[in-house]
Amino acid sequence: MISFILRRLISVAVTFIVVSLIIFFMMHAIPGGPFDANDMPVSEAVRDKLMANLGLDQPLYVQYFRYMWGVLHFDFGVPYQSPGDTVTGLLSRAWVPSLVLGGLGVLIGAPLGILLGMAAALNRNTWIDYLASTVATFGLTIPVFVTSMLLILVFAVWLQWLPASGWGKPERWILPITAYALIPLATYARYTRSAMLDTINRPFVTVLRAKGLSERRIIFQHVLRNSAIPLVTVFLPMFIGTATGSIFVEAMFRVPGLGAYFVSSIETRDYPLEMALMLMITFMYCIAYLLSDIVYALINPRIRVGGGQ
Amino acid sequence: MKTLLKIAGALAVATAMTAPMTMPSLAQTTIVAPGQSTSGTYMDYMKTVYARATFAELLQVPIATFDKEFELTPMAAESWSQSEDGLTWTFKLRPGLVWSDGEPLTAEDYVFALQRAATGGYDFAWYWDFAGGIKGWKEVTEGTADVSTLGLVAVDDLTIEVTTVAPKPYLPSVTSLWYPVPKHVVDKLGDDWALNVDTIVSSGPFDLESWEKSNNSVVLTKSDTYTGPWQAQIDRLEVDPSLGAPEVGLPAFLAGDADYSFLNTGQVPVATQRYPDGIRKNAVFATSYISYDLDSAPFNDENVRKAFYYAVDRAELTSTVLKDIAIPAGSILPPGYPGYNPDIAAEAVFDPEKAKQFMADAGFADGAGFPEIEIWYREEGGYNGAIIPAMAQYLQAEFKDVLGITMNIRVLPGAEWMDGLRNKTNNIFIAPYEYDYLDPSNFYGIFFNGGRHGYHIPEYDALVSQADSESDWDTRYKLYAEAEQIMIDQALIVPLVHPITIAVISDELGGDASTPNALGFTSLDRLGHYFFTHLTKQ
Repeated sequence: MISFILRRLISVAVTFIVVSLIIFFMMHAIPGGPFDANDMPVSEAVRDKLMANLGLDQPLYVQYFRYMWGVLHFDFGVPYQSPGDTVTGLLSRAWVPSLVLGGLGVLIGAPLGILLGMAAALNRNTWIDYLASTVATFGLTIPVFVTSMLLILVFAVWLQWLPASGWGKPERWILPITAYALIPLATYARYTRSAMLDTINRPFVTVLRAKGLSERRIIFQHVLRNSAIPLVTVFLPMFIGTATGSIFVEAMFRVPGLGAYFVSSIETRDYPLEMALMLMITFMYCIAYLLSDIVYALINPRIRVGGGQ
Repeated sequence: MKTLLKIAGALAVATAMTAPMTMPSLAQTTIVAPGQSTSGTYMDYMKTVYARATFAELLQVPIATFDKEFELTPMAAESWSQSEDGLTWTFKLRPGLVWSDGEPLTAEDYVFALQRAATGGYDFAWYWDFAGGIKGWKEVTEGTADVSTLGLVAVDDLTIEVTTVAPKPYLPSVTSLWYPVPKHVVDKLGDDWALNVDTIVSSGPFDLESWEKSNNSVVLTKSDTYTGPWQAQIDRLEVDPSLGAPEVGLPAFLAGDADYSFLNTGQVPVATQRYPDGIRKNAVFATSYISYDLDSAPFNDENVRKAFYYAVDRAELTSTVLKDIAIPAGSILPPGYPGYNPDIAAEAVFDPEKAKQFMADAGFADGAGFPEIEIWYREEGGYNGAIIPAMAQYLQAEFKDVLGITMNIRVLPGAEWMDGLRNKTNNIFIAPYEYDYLDPSNFYGIFFNGGRHGYHIPEYDALVSQADSESDWDTRYKLYAEAEQIMIDQALIVPLVHPITIAVISDELGGDASTPNALGFTSLDRLGHYFFTHLTKQ
């Protein structure tokens, strides 16, 4: 198990470095820059001075190594958008609303989705199954900004039960979290349904039934455990996806989270901020997949490649 | 199970019934308004215009500004006068103005603001060069002269003297963007003074309560130290740029979370039907027009240009394709803009017969033999982004129909479009222009002596040059009108449309700012000083 984790860690490090290289050079390959003449018509002399102050006059590979050296020391630089601040400080503040929104969205949506998927699988081809499938299909096919708009129209404009947007007070959280939760809910409902149907039809379930085990024990102790692998695969990356996936929800409901920084850092060519956001997400995805692999190994020892063969 | 359901249902109904009643009522009057830019670096207009924080300018008092009817009104200045030779202006400040930290606001704070702008990489420096014409500006910004040589002097605490390189009769209107910078604070903290709410001081009708940098939203409060004209009539102003997109702004408005919202073309009919008294048109003082390379065929022929001029049905264009997010343009100056000449605008009529005749006169009867052309427009967001692509397609169809020609369309990034214009690599363009300062010279300047279009029309240049330095306003306007007549007579441009923005406002809003001016415009995102200080809420 330890060597399995070690090998995984090495591959995480390699992925991280490769991704950082790709992001860094692609970011600089896009025409324009933070002091592009179209956006900021300052004189040539002043532009040169500004670029030199930020080290943007150096060759790209020097800029890359400087930046990554900083990253190794947890220094993500100073955002051009907010020179009095640090990227770390700025993101640590903006991450809170995103985490609340995304985290609660997944924590509420995923279990509900699992329940819905289970209900659908256990009542296959009945109205419960059709209803669950319809909800899941809607959740997956309708873009989140449309569901957001519908929620605002119904609950804020027509019924006037909840505020349409904004953050701060818990009642303002309800609609954006609901809008966001629909994504994991729909995803989980679909995954759970198909995974359970797959397991239920396997021979060992028939054997268990023949042994006379109660249906409840079969479902919760055996079927669900055996259906868990695809669910684990989706869960952590989806959790990490909260950092990026909620851009639309944040915009529609005016949540002061990371989404706005994502958009504005790209618009204003705020390299340190752009880079930090991408690196953090890469890192979190890497860790998420690593954790997924460990959980797989715990659920199903056959997956411990090299460890248990 | 049934009992559980009953309890849940009862709870839901109870919550629904009590929710609206438990909303706290605000003792203060607060207006929630949409902002524009979702990112801002400094809360200091004189540090950066393009990356300024939301409404940084509302915190400071300009020398002068424009009122509801777009008339120039003194603000920090009490009066101004021009020297005999027209080169020196003397501005007298109002006594008793103070910074929010209690320090007196002096002439030095204004002079310091521009001196710092000239030396500190200010992105609006060109404005004080070509619009302001301040003596020594170019040399100082290029680093070849010392800042002390600028034509700016604080004679005493309340007197500012400005010297220009040529007579600038409209200089007071240029000062509408001249805000003070607190020298005493900058001396202590440098540029950092404008980064944090705690260190920002104000001189205008509003103070800063909070600034959320992730979306550039701010909360401003009525200043209790400001003694100048136009005091705020509301207690708080919450400006949220994430409400700036109509797709977010209108739902928030409908739910009562915003006091007004801008509308996109799809929303205009719905909002107009539901709030017939709440619709407001907002002038942006911009014009979209066709310009040409005058030196090469086929547009070196005046007849061809005139044919294009008469082939545009502007009324149909604005009412159908653009759904009234623009008004027809007959001249380069928009209605309400100083020097606007309705007589010249009225000449721009849709006359397909005349257009055909001019084409025939040019040797292209029914378009026969006319080369295939490609009109270039610039990739843009905002109101131009909503207007220009649709307009280009409309023109393409109309020119085919009326003139019998094939016009292709090409969209280019800003830099490449500008390059095409300057180096004449193409021969026909859709060009948008938005004012920088409220004076006719701003619009006429873009065609003056090369300008941005490479036009060299000696008689036009002579008139504009004379008008630019003429101090008698009636004579100036007459000269500009003559210059504009040349533009129209020679069909140097085809004025197309003046973009406007449309918004819906709550019936709770009142005050002078909430009603349209004589031209039917309400300044919702222009002239913020006037608007937000003349707005009330029930």
